[in-house]
Amino acid sequence: MKNTILILLVSLVSLTACSKENNDKENELVRTVFDPGHLKFISNSLNPRKETMSALYGNEKALESLSKESQTPEAGAVMKLVTWKYHDNPQYIGGTITGELVSIETVQADQLGNISYDIKNDLLQNSSPDKEERIQYFMSYHPVSRP
Amino acid sequence: METVKKKRNPIAIFFLAILGVFGGLQLFSQPLEGKPVTKKIEAPREVISILENSCFNCHSNQQNLSWYDKIAPVSWAVNKDIKRAREVLNFSEWEKYSPAEQQGKMYAILNMMQSGKMPLHEYTLLHPSAKINQKDIEVIRKYTLSLSSVNPTTQKKIEIPQASSILPISASTKFPVSPNGVQYTPDFKNWKVISMSTLFDNSIRVIYGNDIAVKAVETENFHPWPDGSIVVKSVWKQQVLPDGEIRPGKFINAQFMVKDSKQYKDTEDWGFAKFSGEDLHPTGKTASFAKESCIACHRQLTEKTGYLFDVPMKVNTQRLIQNLQKK
Repeated sequence: MKNTILILLVSLVSLTACSKENNDKENELVRTVFDPGHLKFISNSLNPRKETMSALYGNEKALESLSKESQTPEAGAVMKLVTWKYHDNPQYIGGTITGELVSIETVQADQLGNISYDIKNDLLQNSSPDKEERIQYFMSYHPVSRP
Repeated sequence: METVKKKRNPIAIFFLAILGVFGGLQLFSQPLEGKPVTKKIEAPREVISILENSCFNCHSNQQNLSWYDKIAPVSWAVNKDIKRAREVLNFSEWEKYSPAEQQGKMYAILNMMQSGKMPLHEYTLLHPSAKINQKDIEVIRKYTLSLSSVNPTTQKKIEIPQASSILPISASTKFPVSPNGVQYTPDFKNWKVISMSTLFDNSIRVIYGNDIAVKAVETENFHPWPDGSIVVKSVWKQQVLPDGEIRPGKFINAQFMVKDSKQYKDTEDWGFAKFSGEDLHPTGKTASFAKESCIACHRQLTEKTGYLFDVPMKVNTQRLIQNLQKK
């Protein structure tokens, strides 16, 4: 009996210790790079009022739609808008740089042309943006110009 | 008497020898090459007075050196420093810089002063009157920020940029090469974006990293960055939409940093390159161009991040990212 209690106690201690460690790791501040998966960078923007910068990623279909300046994404198009707060660059007076990740918005058009919109944010803000307005906003981006 | 003489002699000989060597050294001490002042920097008097007092001795053609600066071996170090300082920034040849470059130089000066990197510590040890204080920095800051409005490059007109971003470029295309051997590659368009930034010159920038560089960022493996890391900064003019939002407009340049500890020893193991305009013409006339320009600021201001300015800030938690990236 004593042994069982001891084993239970030890496992309890070790288990909590373990989960605490994970917790610490999850809350530890890190330098993050967004992974867009199979999507590619299309364009970006800066909103001086909100002090945010966003990067728009998309697949080939999305790129086609935006290049053609379509009003709606073509069937199969996937776009993600990743928004960050920006700050004065701590290493250079006269520059700004992206900081905290604020939200990830996704616009997707399925094969039938049904368009879905989804937003994931930092939970501090409780916003539910107007879907149509956001889709229109996504479609206002033009692919960046590069040689 | 004889013992005293025996003791004195070696000391005297020693001092004579030192004196002889010292005197001999002066024969090899070449005076600093005198250069004319072609156009001195123009700025408010209080700005000029700080620059003259703390910077001009090295960064101009108007040296006002102390006697001990002119005696070998001190003079060797002083002359070498002045030569290098003039290459990076010369207040006596201010006309050689475009207005945009002059503004950039002033920002570099402000950043160097603010971070305590300039004037050099070794220099102020021997020349304490050249030290700067917070009030001096404020004067420089105010003047530098006032320059921003002088040179507005923001595009107000709405132009629709060409959509040539992710289209494949044929493999036979010859890509330009920087004088130091860094070759342009369009591959970066498929790399991850590590950060986005802006600069006082009204530009907007996206910074991409290859897989090695991204891993180095995530694991903060900056000292040193692993060989093979490549970071590319794509720079555009800011284009302002009617509602005030800013988008990338005309392409300005793509700036490369390639980590190669064998090839780029002089520039902290990074190969720098800048490809500008639609024809991506490379910056620099000689292989050592980055030694006189890029590395001066990167070395002094960004040692903490392994000589890069735009690494992502350490402000996000793993938990947040996992939550947001969840489908």
